[in-house]
Amino acid sequence: MRPVLLSFALLLTAYLGVIGPFTNYMAEKPMVEKLGYPPQPTVLRAISADQGPTAAAWLVMKVLFYYGDLVEAAQQEVYLSPDYVAIHRNLETAVQLDPYNMDAYYFAQAILVWDAGRADAVNEMLEHGMAYRTWDWYLPFFAGFNSAYFLKDYEKAAEYYKRAAELSGAPLFSQLAGRYLQEVGKTDLAIAYLTMLEKSARNEAVKNSFQIRIRAFREVKRIEVARDRYRKEKGVLPESVGILHQQGFLDTLPSDPYGGTFYLDGQGQVRSTSKFAFGSDKQKQ
Amino acid sequence: MFPVFIATFKGVVRDRVLRGILATGLLFLALPQISSLSMRQVTELSITLSLGLFSFILLLLAVFLGATSLWKDFERRYTFSVMGLPLSRGAYLLGKYAGVAGFTLIAGMLLGVAVIAVVWITSSVHPSVRPVAWGNLALAMGFDVVKYLLLLGFAFFFSTVSTSFFLPVFGTIAVYMAGSVSQQVFDYLQTESGQLLPAVVRKASLALYYLLPNFGAFDLRLQAIYGLDLSPSGLLLTLAYAFIYLGILMAASVTIFRRRELL
Repeated sequence: MRPVLLSFALLLTAYLGVIGPFTNYMAEKPMVEKLGYPPQPTVLRAISADQGPTAAAWLVMKVLFYYGDLVEAAQQEVYLSPDYVAIHRNLETAVQLDPYNMDAYYFAQAILVWDAGRADAVNEMLEHGMAYRTWDWYLPFFAGFNSAYFLKDYEKAAEYYKRAAELSGAPLFSQLAGRYLQEVGKTDLAIAYLTMLEKSARNEAVKNSFQIRIRAFREVKRIEVARDRYRKEKGVLPESVGILHQQGFLDTLPSDPYGGTFYLDGQGQVRSTSKFAFGSDKQKQ
Repeated sequence: MFPVFIATFKGVVRDRVLRGILATGLLFLALPQISSLSMRQVTELSITLSLGLFSFILLLLAVFLGATSLWKDFERRYTFSVMGLPLSRGAYLLGKYAGVAGFTLIAGMLLGVAVIAVVWITSSVHPSVRPVAWGNLALAMGFDVVKYLLLLGFAFFFSTVSTSFFLPVFGTIAVYMAGSVSQQVFDYLQTESGQLLPAVVRKASLALYYLLPNFGAFDLRLQAIYGLDLSPSGLLLTLAYAFIYLGILMAASVTIFRRRELL
């Protein structure tokens, strides 16, 4: 009995001797190593057998814990550069295993777009998700925002917001869709789209907001027609909206119902200081 | 056959397997807490994790109970004694299968209660945008149980051809893995790159696809997690497929077992 006890005591002592340095080694392991490199989605799908959604949830959790560690370190003024490539790879693998996993899309939108500047890659992910989460207006809403704000693809943004509006029935997205359709010079389309929504709007306040936007876009359209006539006659773009009025191309000076002043940008595109939103001229972008 | 069924069922209970399941089932207690870490889909994550645990426990049961049930009788020479009774070998084998299958069914029901409790607690605290599809959840668990009854059939089939438990255990695990990806392989074969594979490989893969059980059909997890639509005719077809497949498998097992030298 004694040799067994002795062996056990020795092994226990050895374990206690090893566990301290082992814990330190694990704590000091580089973060990237902790996040790891996920296998190819097809391989992982095969390995995980019927546990695909669980494997996807595990990948998202891993990313979440990894990012949480970074934030915690930053709070202690230890700034570590996040491995966005690994984050992206893990999230992409997760949505290949479970294309419905909203956490993956949400995290990609919240972190990869803003911190890593990967709006185009995230939009690809969101497109993938839209094919599955057909009821969810968040995905086209996110993609619309990325397209407009980061990628400056206003036509695509309008398309996404239109989809978000159809899914949610929320007037905000309809307004945004209308706004971005106008940005790409498709003012007629924006007016038609908003007029249709205005007719079907039941809530008085919502109806009113549509009417204001339509009024603003009709003014834009009036300026665009005058601008095109001016260019045709003079062969150059007008310098300002005021010139169009002074030279008789516009009967009256257009007024922006949002309280802004219309102007022409370098490309002759009609803009307003209000950015077609109440109070936006008071906000800093 | 019925006495063998009862004896097998009692044997499994006597082996304290139920206690093992309950001990593993304690993990269910942690799931609501783990699920709350989700950013946008707490309830969905609780369904994902609880169905994952449900399936994993049933897999362990199917593999280890199924693969060791006959083997233990051979080892203890019980089979030899039983063969002296007025009982056919076929009835003995089917009775053993029914005993383990009955236990799996009861374990599935107990674990199902745990799954429902976890999802109910989580969805009460963190209601989901889309309401929980309880019917889909129940069907997902039911089809999982049917899948493992089929896998159990394989464990018995391998037990009839092997004297050790290695082939039944590893053979059953191999069938589980292959059956879980067979549909993906089939889908790949239909793609352009799949068409470029050598004809022998394609034909062998197709043969395996029809030979192996298609466990992908029993996986209703996404439908349960996200409340997606289910096809009633597809479900009925899957059930018919499962029971016909199981019937063929058990018939083959009985045929082999009848001819086997047990001494």
